[in-house]
Amino acid sequence: MIFALCFGTSIFLSFSTPVAGGFRDTAMLMMLGVSKQTPVAVTLGNRISDSSSISTYSSKDRFDAERILHVPNSFALQSGMTVVGECSFTPSDSSYTLMNVQRVNPAMIFPLIQGLGELGRNILFHVPMSFIAFIAFLVGTFYSILFLRKGNLKYDLHARAASSLGLMFTTLATVTGSIWARFSWGKFWDWDEPRETSILVLLLIYIAYFLLRSLLEDTEEKKARLAAVYNIIAFATVPFLMFVLPRITRSLHPGSGSEAPVINLSGKTHIDPSFSLFLWINVACFAILFFIIKDLYIRIETIRQQREPNYD
Amino acid sequence: MISPVLRKELRIELRNRYGTSAVVMFLLVTVVTIAFAAPGEQIPPPLMSAFFWITVFFGTMTGLSRSFVSEEERGTILLLRLYAKPEAVFWGKFIYNLLLSLSLAFTAVIIFAFFFKDFIVRDYVMFSLQLLLGIVGTAGIVTILSALVARASQKGALLPVLALPVLFPLVIAVTDATTITMESGSAWIAVRGDILVLFSFDIALILISYVLFNFIWQD
Repeated sequence: MIFALCFGTSIFLSFSTPVAGGFRDTAMLMMLGVSKQTPVAVTLGNRISDSSSISTYSSKDRFDAERILHVPNSFALQSGMTVVGECSFTPSDSSYTLMNVQRVNPAMIFPLIQGLGELGRNILFHVPMSFIAFIAFLVGTFYSILFLRKGNLKYDLHARAASSLGLMFTTLATVTGSIWARFSWGKFWDWDEPRETSILVLLLIYIAYFLLRSLLEDTEEKKARLAAVYNIIAFATVPFLMFVLPRITRSLHPGSGSEAPVINLSGKTHIDPSFSLFLWINVACFAILFFIIKDLYIRIETIRQQREPNYD
Repeated sequence: MISPVLRKELRIELRNRYGTSAVVMFLLVTVVTIAFAAPGEQIPPPLMSAFFWITVFFGTMTGLSRSFVSEEERGTILLLRLYAKPEAVFWGKFIYNLLLSLSLAFTAVIIFAFFFKDFIVRDYVMFSLQLLLGIVGTAGIVTILSALVARASQKGALLPVLALPVLFPLVIAVTDATTITMESGSAWIAVRGDILVLFSFDIALILISYVLFNFIWQD
């Protein structure tokens, strides 16, 4: 119950928190001749001058850059307020004019990522899903190793549950990534994109794992042993597919070549603190969700085995 | 303990030549199909390297898929299990598979060079290294997976389905490296990443296969 509340709040905030940039973003888009405005988050400072319709403030944006901002009096704003809204840039005196107000004094602001805009929110879902997919496969392999060492069929059930959830989370990451690719790179699928190819192969490997399980005909214990062996071999390829190959080949996806990915060798994240806080909250929520579903899967399977011993 | 298993495999192969003749025929048919499908076309290096490695990978699957299935069918698997240690069986079969696939790859190179004027390898040492690393990893994975497939009911189709996705990191790295070698010759800097991936993949997968083989082999 508490978890559902946390998860709901996290998802709600992931959607509702405004995405906003700084003055720099507006000026850059203006210079590039892009007509579409991006929201800017500014804190109004000292009032410099006043007229009947427009007040002028010296304002700071989220990068602490101080600029002159003209604010129409109809917006009814005062010094000290933080405003999210679209601005227009006047190059002659390098001043800005607030065009509209989207949010006043928001609790949190997500940073604007150039070229992504509102699509940047997808980081909060796509990235945790792929993290949890990896963790699910890791857990599955852990239980497979445990099964080979101990020979208890309970561990095989754990491995099967974790791997099937890994497959589910990989599918979700693929779907969210593909939709994202459609809107920021232009098409749903691109075979030149090493990330997309390698995640598809990951799906194929784990589909093959479940295919193997269904095709083995032997005692329950021997079937589980062979499946565990394949699961461990399959997991040995996961680091290559998820971490090595996308990094040595050219790609648009963050984390290729010299670009810093979310996880890199130096252990630095290049994500804005407010964003990364939500990222890790979502990772934790998805992780708890994974363990809850895995537990349910195991309980269902245990009951089914008790009721129908000859099922399969 | 390894050499008796290896010697037995080689003697059986020399006696009936099932593996080699089937594989050479497979290679010829595949290459003729490619040549027939693209008559007189200029085949660019990326495509050439892809054709070559697809042929080699499926040829290896065809040649090596029966190494444990045939034991199971002839009922000799029990004898082998009584007579030899699991490690000896694994390494014996692995070395035999390696020799068979290396000769297969060598034959494939000759056939490709004969049929395609675009099959130009600019750096022979580098290409040999890629060939060796690619084949070692394939032979290792196919050895353990063919032992696994011998236990399943749909023996025929299952090996490529299980093996190719697992081999995929190797396929990506080796086709990329071969493309670079065909395009620009000796460019160590450009292929370094691929070669490192191939090398680490081979070592990791063969060691894991060796450790896990016992669990497939025991009854």
